[in-house]
Amino acid sequence: MDKKQREFKVLLVDDEDIFREATARQLSVRGFIVLTADSGEAAVESVKNDPPEVVVLDQQMPGMHGSDTFIAIKKIDPLIEVIMLTGNTSVDNAIELMQMGTFDYLMKPINIDELLYKIEDAYTRKKLNEKQQREAGQ
Amino acid sequence: MRVWDTSHLLDDIPAHKQASAEHVYDPADSQANLYRIRFHFKQLQARLILGLVLGFLLPNALLSAYFHFQFTHTLKESAKLSLAAVAESQKNTIDLYLQERVVNLYNLFHSKDFSLNPTQEQMDTLLANLKHFNDGFVDVGFFDPKGVQIAYAGPFHALLGMDYSHESWYRNLLEDHRNYLISDIYLGFRKIPHFTIAIKQVFDNQTYMMRASLDPDKFYIFLRAISQGKEVESTLINHEGIYQVVDPGRSQFPNRSDFIPPTASPAGVEEFERDDQKMLVAFTPIKETPWTLLAMQPVSVAQAGMIKARLVLTISLVVISLLLSAIIFFTIKRLVDRARRMAEKGQQLQEMLAHASKLASIGELAAGVAHEINNPLAIIMATSGVIRDMLNPEFELDHSPEAIYKELSVIDTAANRAKGITRKLQDMGKSRVPSVVECDVNALLGEVVASLKKVELKPKHIEIANNLASDLPRIFAEPEPLRQVFANILINASDAIDDKGTISITTEAKEDTILVTITDSGRGIPPENLPRIFNPFFTTKGGGRGTGLGLSIAASIVKYLGGVIRVNSIPGTGSSFTILLPINAQAQKTIKQHDK
Repeated sequence: MDKKQREFKVLLVDDEDIFREATARQLSVRGFIVLTADSGEAAVESVKNDPPEVVVLDQQMPGMHGSDTFIAIKKIDPLIEVIMLTGNTSVDNAIELMQMGTFDYLMKPINIDELLYKIEDAYTRKKLNEKQQREAGQ
Repeated sequence: MRVWDTSHLLDDIPAHKQASAEHVYDPADSQANLYRIRFHFKQLQARLILGLVLGFLLPNALLSAYFHFQFTHTLKESAKLSLAAVAESQKNTIDLYLQERVVNLYNLFHSKDFSLNPTQEQMDTLLANLKHFNDGFVDVGFFDPKGVQIAYAGPFHALLGMDYSHESWYRNLLEDHRNYLISDIYLGFRKIPHFTIAIKQVFDNQTYMMRASLDPDKFYIFLRAISQGKEVESTLINHEGIYQVVDPGRSQFPNRSDFIPPTASPAGVEEFERDDQKMLVAFTPIKETPWTLLAMQPVSVAQAGMIKARLVLTISLVVISLLLSAIIFFTIKRLVDRARRMAEKGQQLQEMLAHASKLASIGELAAGVAHEINNPLAIIMATSGVIRDMLNPEFELDHSPEAIYKELSVIDTAANRAKGITRKLQDMGKSRVPSVVECDVNALLGEVVASLKKVELKPKHIEIANNLASDLPRIFAEPEPLRQVFANILINASDAIDDKGTISITTEAKEDTILVTITDSGRGIPPENLPRIFNPFFTTKGGGRGTGLGLSIAASIVKYLGGVIRVNSIPGTGSSFTILLPINAQAQKTIKQHDK
């Protein structure tokens, strides 16, 4: 595959330990700096302490739900892009996620390459948004 | 934006398993429902039509019958009265006629030309005078006190000089207080039917008589002339019922009449049958003679008006009834048809709704299944991705057989988890053949706790407090599902406890129910989650530990046994699950008998 240094932080949030770790390992070897969290609460803490560029967030989690976590993250930093992972296949759910303002969503089980491209796209957009904001600020 | 089509989710579920056994959408059932509705409305229509037709037509018919009866009676009476009036009028005319004839004769006695020894010329003149008044006169004779006809004018010259002293008319008149007499028809010396008008006059204590004979045929012509009314046939009979004057076509003197008036009432109207024809006859006595006038009219003619009116009435009644029935029939048919169509539509709508909601719940179930299966699948794909990375020299990762073996076992675990979910789902849908035996609930709980202590309860410091009723009745049930119920609730209790805590198990019997209460000192259930805990796939256990099927399965088993599960929970203090199981009285009896 493409072993290049992407050198940006991706936060992976999922309550399934094995899935989280396996996916994290796959992302790591592809050059991402991978942070992980096993719950919505932990994810919010992580964003506060060590803000990532992109968050990959599981929608269905006990405790703090994916959607709530998304809102909390956006409150901390609106420019962070979030890719939602979902087990729910309904059209309604997909529309809801997009309306909320997630960058995109992926249905479990995921293909690592697809995730990879989505993370890169999200990162590109974040950088673009930051640039626009800077220009607007000046 | 990508949009998923969820329809493919149902493709994986075999058609016969897409609906549960309880609420199946069955086209045959739907057809049966339609038949039921149609049958119901057909019955309704028949009942309505019958009711309305009876309600409308029965009073109508009764009223019509009453009026018909009254009408018939009145018209019959009116026909009788009308005929009686005809008879009365004829009788008066006949009386008047006879009186005139008597007067004719009287006048001869008292004419200035009359002598006690009349000449032939005088007698001829007398006859000519009589014939001038009425051509019914045949002859005229004069009788001396001995009863000998001493003068005569007429066609029967042989009668001159004959002795009439023994003739009945002569004797009757002689003895009668009246001065005149009109005889019955008789043959007499001339041997030809005739009747006599005779008058007597006393001169010097000697009784002289004058008599004239009349032709009954002429009298009949007179009778014909005065008759009135359609097909009214007039006849004169004497008191013995012998025809005096009758239609020659009908009968002749001296035959007896078909109808004899009752002796009790000399005048009246009656019905009688003649030659197979119903006749109406009015009878009334003639004043001047011992005769009775019979005026006869066929009933069919007398009542022709009535029969016609009755026919018109009957026909119009039948037509009106038929019209009314037709209107009732078609109106009700239209109304009932409309109502039936609406009911059918309603039924179809309801079936479609039931079908739709069934599809929707299948959709929900499918979504739940998909989500639960997707989690282990995600692990499998992620781990196989890891292995692929290991084998990729570019990444320079450890790809020793041991490392790969370790990842493969992760895949096995995830696959087994998916298998577990599908097996539990199958168990939910399976209709078990019940192997019911008598169960000691206390013993079952003990077995479950012992097996859980080996694995699920081992890592935690949980104290199990038993408070089991020693005299707990045994119940009739399948032990395995019951074990599963207790195990699922005990595992939840254990999961609710973070590290250290207590689970108390209480059993007691109350009336016909066994109560098993499992209380934990765990986290408790938030109130908003309480209504959802029995829903399939509802879980709060993270990290893939819960499938969300445990309580759902427990609830369905307990429901199958005729019981119920009650939950009390205080967040932060713990939860209490009470399983209520009915003690089957019949089963208890069977067991006791078996024990004996």
